Amino acid sequence: MRFVHLFVICALVFAAAYVYRIKMESTVRTERVLKLRADIRQQRDSIASLKAEWAKLESPKRLQELASRHLSLRPIEAIQFDSLKNLPPRPPSFVKPGDPDPIGTIIESVDLEALAAAASQDETLTGSIPQPEGAQ
Amino acid sequence: MTDQAPKRPAEPWRQRLIRTLLYGRNVDRSAKARARVGLAIIAFSLVYAVIAGRLVMFAVGGDGHGTRRTASQDAIATARPDILDRNGMILATDVKTPSLFGEPRRIIDKDEAIELLTATLPDVDAGEVRDRLSSRKGFVWLKREITAQQQKDIYRLGIPGIGFLRENKRVYPSGPIVSHLIGHVNIDNQGIAGIEKWLDSNGLADLHRAGFATDRQQEPVQLAVDLRVEHALRDELLKAKDKYSAKAAAGLVSNVNTGEIIAMVSVPDYDPNNPREANDPTRINRLTTGVFEMGSTFKSLTLAMALDSGRATINTLYDARAPLVYGKFRINDTHNLGRSVPMWEVFTESSNVASARIALSMGVEAHKAFLRKLGQLSRLRTELPESAEPLVPKRWSELNTITIAFGHGMAVAPLQAVMGINALINGGYLIPPTFLKRSREDAMQVAKQVVKPETSNSMRYLMRLNAEKGTARKADVKGYYVGGKTGTSEKVVNGRYSKKQVLNSFTAIMPADNPQYQLLIMLDEPKGLPETHGFITSGWNAVPTGGKVIERIAPLLGMTPRFDLPPSERLILAASKESR
Repeated sequence: MRFVHLFVICALVFAAAYVYRIKMESTVRTERVLKLRADIRQQRDSIASLKAEWAKLESPKRLQELASRHLSLRPIEAIQFDSLKNLPPRPPSFVKPGDPDPIGTIIESVDLEALAAAASQDETLTGSIPQPEGAQ
Repeated sequence: MTDQAPKRPAEPWRQRLIRTLLYGRNVDRSAKARARVGLAIIAFSLVYAVIAGRLVMFAVGGDGHGTRRTASQDAIATARPDILDRNGMILATDVKTPSLFGEPRRIIDKDEAIELLTATLPDVDAGEVRDRLSSRKGFVWLKREITAQQQKDIYRLGIPGIGFLRENKRVYPSGPIVSHLIGHVNIDNQGIAGIEKWLDSNGLADLHRAGFATDRQQEPVQLAVDLRVEHALRDELLKAKDKYSAKAAAGLVSNVNTGEIIAMVSVPDYDPNNPREANDPTRINRLTTGVFEMGSTFKSLTLAMALDSGRATINTLYDARAPLVYGKFRINDTHNLGRSVPMWEVFTESSNVASARIALSMGVEAHKAFLRKLGQLSRLRTELPESAEPLVPKRWSELNTITIAFGHGMAVAPLQAVMGINALINGGYLIPPTFLKRSREDAMQVAKQVVKPETSNSMRYLMRLNAEKGTARKADVKGYYVGGKTGTSEKVVNGRYSKKQVLNSFTAIMPADNPQYQLLIMLDEPKGLPETHGFITSGWNAVPTGGKVIERIAPLLGMTPRFDLPPSERLILAASKESR
């Protein structure tokens, strides 16, 4: 019986301590939530005022005044528009479809290793095209 | 009592029952004691259960000492939704600003407080502050909406009993550009004009009263207006107003197919950030709160009526040989045509005589009915709370029909006329104008077919013809296939029509073959210039202004210029053959 009493008292103490911890924790968390909420509110408010300022800065009236002061541009005229169908026809292609691109083949034919080797021998070699055969 | 209880037969039956339940029939002391302990356990656990339940309730409800603080803060900071234009540009938004208040009962040294405050806030009236702080109230406003710097300064002074509350201040970043349309709010953030007032009357005020509209998280309201178009229109109108020394100018761009109002400008206007200017009577919104005799613009309605009845085509001849004499009145043309003219020429030459004859040929009742059908006789309601009743003659005689046929003797709000002309050119649908964004489908649901599509076709061609060879030539911007009708109405001065003071209007549609937008330009009392040869008719001032506006806004409205369109005359011939 005494043992039971002791056990119950211990349990009570533990429970009290545990409840106290939970209480503290929850208080801390509540504080944090409130602080975050206040932060969010503040951020939203500042976003709103920044947006308002932005809108003020890009107000067409202000932009027009700035443009007329600093730029030599004029309003666009209808005659300056054109449609895609009025573009000149595409120039004829010399490469048949399916053939490899001639310029691409030239570039790929360059032997990079030989080039690097040649560069190490001759400091004057700069270009990407290898020197002619008999030049060295 | 318990000792002798079991043996006593004289015991009342109720007690016996309880005892039987508690102790059994033959009880001993230890059993009794156990029963008592059990009773105590039950009683105490009940008490603890109540306490625990209460605790749970507290825990669930939350004490919220922090939330209470912000709640009082929010109670005065009524938020309004942002207002955006059709492209999402901000037209009105809320910004938090601190406001200064005092608690007179808690101020220790009033004189010192007043002295310090007036030193930091030079624009407050010392006497007023003294009055307010001397009152016995618990709370007084000292100054609403101060700057952050001022707040810091006053905070540093450390006066007891002076505090700050953060309030929402309504700001209009684009300033006067959209003033008449959007309206403004008072210092307590209640809308008192324009769309702002409409917002309040559509539930926002109730939200405020219920205390819900405190947060910024409100759905923004998107309007149909396009800020860029609005600015371009306003800029050109201001220039025109200066150039022709007009008293006022107004302009309106509306989408023909949806009834949306893309831009609405009436200058002089005011800055909604400084709403005191709005009280000036010269700054009214001439497009909705003013009514005007629209002049020859109204001829479009007269001609459409004749075309729609099927009794006339655009080639029907009308007599314009001599002034029309009705009783003691003579109806003149600006220049006497001296011949009979076909209807298309009535339109391009803007003949008063012929259009009066057209209306007479239809009869008074038909004329009235047609105008009613087009919504010209009743007050037009839009989202804007400000609206004006049209001035319609009480007794509608033949003379009224004659004058109204060419736009005199009846005054309507220009927005109303725009709605009517929209119906004439968009295929015959009368669509109530709106300031909110609206899709074509929604528009068609509220639309009413008022004239036949063929009539609408003919009207478009007439308008295009007028821009090619009629009075609206100066607005024929190449590439946009503009059509239009001019109107010059003489103003009534001291009961007589004045030749010097006129109200000019110009209605343009673009493109005329498949109208998307209608533009209305109005100039109030423009003066003649050397370059206009002293003329003050619409064709010399409102029309060129309209041309400039079209040049600027057409690219903004996404209209592609086309240069391969046939002249309207051929289209008219084709149309008239079709209708025969």
